[in-house]
Amino acid sequence: MLNQSIVQDVISQALSTGGDFAEVFVEDRLKNSITLQSGIIDNSLSGRDFGVGIRVYHGFRSAYTYTTDFSKEGLLKTAQNAANAIQGENRLEPQSFKSQTIQPIHPVTQMPQSVEKTRKANVLKNAYDIAKRHHQSISQVKVNYLDEEQNVLIANSNGKFVEDKRVHSRLAIAAIASNEHDMETGFYGPGAVQGFEFMENLDLGHYATEAARIAVTNLGADPCPSGKFPVIIDNEFGGVIFHEACGHGLEATSVAKGKSAFANKVGERVAPDIVTYIDDGTLQNEWGSINIDDEGNLPQKNVLIEDGILKGYLVDQLNSRIMDTAPTGSGRRESYRFAPTSRMTNTYIAPGDSSPEEIIADTEYGIYAKYMGGGQVNPATGDYNFAINEAYMVKDGKIDKPVRGATLIGNGPKTLQAVDMVGNNLGHGAGMCGSLSGSIPVNVGQPTLRVSEMTVGGRKEEA
Amino acid sequence: MNIQDFKQQLFERGENQGFNDMELYYEKSDSFNCKIDLGEVDQFTTAEEIGVSFRGVYKGKMGYAYTEKLDESSIEFLVENARENALILEEEDQEEIYQGDSEYKDVNFLSEDLQQVSNEEKINFMKEFDRHIYKIDERVTGTGFFQLMSNNIEKAMYNTKGLALEDQNNFIAFGVMVIVKENDLTKSGMHFKHVQDWASLDPEEEAKKAVEEAISYLNPMEVESNDYPVLLRHDAASSLLATFLSIFSAETAQKGMSKLKDKVGKKIAGNNVTFVDEPFRQDAMKSRTFDAEGVASKELTVVENGKLNTLFHNRKTAKKDGVESTGHAYKESYKGSLTVSPSNFYLVPGEPSYDDIVSSLKEGVVVTSLSGLHSGVNQISGDFSVAANGYYVKDGEVQAATNLMTIAGNFFDLLNHVESVGSDLEFSPFSGVGAPSFLVEGLSVTFE
Repeated sequence: MLNQSIVQDVISQALSTGGDFAEVFVEDRLKNSITLQSGIIDNSLSGRDFGVGIRVYHGFRSAYTYTTDFSKEGLLKTAQNAANAIQGENRLEPQSFKSQTIQPIHPVTQMPQSVEKTRKANVLKNAYDIAKRHHQSISQVKVNYLDEEQNVLIANSNGKFVEDKRVHSRLAIAAIASNEHDMETGFYGPGAVQGFEFMENLDLGHYATEAARIAVTNLGADPCPSGKFPVIIDNEFGGVIFHEACGHGLEATSVAKGKSAFANKVGERVAPDIVTYIDDGTLQNEWGSINIDDEGNLPQKNVLIEDGILKGYLVDQLNSRIMDTAPTGSGRRESYRFAPTSRMTNTYIAPGDSSPEEIIADTEYGIYAKYMGGGQVNPATGDYNFAINEAYMVKDGKIDKPVRGATLIGNGPKTLQAVDMVGNNLGHGAGMCGSLSGSIPVNVGQPTLRVSEMTVGGRKEEA
Repeated sequence: MNIQDFKQQLFERGENQGFNDMELYYEKSDSFNCKIDLGEVDQFTTAEEIGVSFRGVYKGKMGYAYTEKLDESSIEFLVENARENALILEEEDQEEIYQGDSEYKDVNFLSEDLQQVSNEEKINFMKEFDRHIYKIDERVTGTGFFQLMSNNIEKAMYNTKGLALEDQNNFIAFGVMVIVKENDLTKSGMHFKHVQDWASLDPEEEAKKAVEEAISYLNPMEVESNDYPVLLRHDAASSLLATFLSIFSAETAQKGMSKLKDKVGKKIAGNNVTFVDEPFRQDAMKSRTFDAEGVASKELTVVENGKLNTLFHNRKTAKKDGVESTGHAYKESYKGSLTVSPSNFYLVPGEPSYDDIVSSLKEGVVVTSLSGLHSGVNQISGDFSVAANGYYVKDGEVQAATNLMTIAGNFFDLLNHVESVGSDLEFSPFSGVGAPSFLVEGLSVTFE
């Protein structure tokens, strides 16, 4: 992508003011996005993102610069801009490159760029037909197809010089059901680290039908009551709640500065012993998986919480200096526009012993959150909020009527303490996670589980 | 390759490949960004970026592609992909390349003074700001987020019908989250600002605002969940408006996804609600002289005393509805396709001050910030249920902060139940939407 001698010069320039580490990240990414609405393809976009990011460290401090100018002069100027923010004592000579070849652990068989757009368009049409046919109240279906081929080069002053190709494919299906008074939406968005083979093998019947069924269910639902209830959260994307409420608090970004509720608690009990929480970027072809992270390190299976005891954190290179611990293959970034930091990959609660049926049967009165929506968390306080996309009341150990418009609010570490049943049906769901280093693909996952009490905000007062 | 050479080669290749009308849209940005933690620069970023998007008519359809690399391989990439993209489009109503208006407002959004401010001066401002934060109150334990960014943006549009337009803008924005602690309870408060007038900034003044905001959430009181009159402070108000902005888009309406479809000319809100879009404000972030299709921008009263005058149109949606474009074609950036979006959209302020409205409340809740707006909101039905922070008001006075709450209601109902609109108009540094504080009759409030 750039030849070694230019990269070497850029790194030397970046170290010219006494930095003790410099890194160059080159990215060339090809993207396609196609949208279908009202039964027709109404948008098809292609693009090429290209740029170079340069990072310099000095102790715990760092500077980052980036540019779309790939001329040698442009790159040296960008390196100098980064160097200007550093005032070090000694000038370090970068080590010569030891070129590394990465064995991809997530095989891709059909590169998206080689597939004709008409074939991609057919996937959208099939998804549309299935969702639209599901029920007469489905008034609108929007399908979005996305593929990306990201080529990166990561080189640093420690002699690292490594290239990687990351391929992502995703289909997002949004269905709207409407009657005279209301419109409600349903959504499903499966994705993977795969090429067009992902689309060809995708069970559209399942995903498109589910999106439509959720919309139809919500259309007939009563407003959700507000108050405090036991909440059963279903598997797959249900894991988003622990992603936001706990996962972010386990990232070195917030731990290193002592700003997380989980800081300085390794070895301590932070959850009931039925809770084991894992981040694993090596799961084959999963949406959050990586061959190498954006600092050029290999991913690994990181056990964060084991049987309720805090075991460790997700650590990037800069924070590994501050925390004096090894990086965990967790340095990630959206693009060359961001310096990498510690981020999640595929994060999930490990399966327990209860069957989903047992969990429901054990619940006298509460809420069953079948599909979660998005949410967010304040990392300083751990306070979070989430939307539930499909919810039901649970009465006398049985799933009762659907309810709509529910949100969950609470505090992450406290919610973790309140998990009282964990199911045996682990599943993963694809999402985009936004944080300091931009928006990146991650999986969230869990089996069906129950939290003994959560605050539910809805439009109906609890009688 | 410079942009003029790139344009020429691109249009030549496009013509050879069978394109009719073509357009090149160009963005260049120089930015600086720094984060401060414990008095030191924690993160320092500078960037120089260029991006272009190409669109052109191929066999009657508008094909799109963009690139950030200005070289010959990209010219081939743009033309090939735009051609393939055009071929799979099925929509009958297509965009057209516009030859331009006879007149464009002559206004310069660029501040020469701001151009002259060095990165060092910006860092020093932040360091002083930081010192004051810790000096003002001993309950301050830190900052969770403390960042300044400045940006200089150039936009240009060239097409094969002879149009050549340019706009330039610069600004500084900063934000801080102050963390405070008392009686083992940690709370945080945010303070953000978007300005062009560097000389007007006083670090002590800004620090005071940020710390006061954080302190105000300490010692929260228990409040019973119920329906309350809710005073949305200007910042919470603008974030709620921004979330529902798409309902005013003719594009959303034509796709059957806005309840305002077929409501033009009708009352949709109370008499005290007037929404205006004003593209030429010097102090606002979305100012422009032309829209993303090259149509000249102009001021527009969208809702006048509760009556919906018009929706926002680009040329394509206007043609469909048999009206003129209102000059609201929009591209998120060169990466996006054409949609519809306002410039500086705001709720026109009323008479009473924020304090006047608080004094008028026998009992109620002030909402100072909303979160979860991307997930707890249904833009189509208008239903929302979102997390909020704020205060409890009794007998005309703020008693204390409340615990985390959710407020739930319906945006369309809310527009008809605005009790009073304040005078404190401010524009959000995030969305660019402006609002004064306003009081709503009754919303369902649930406390944690």
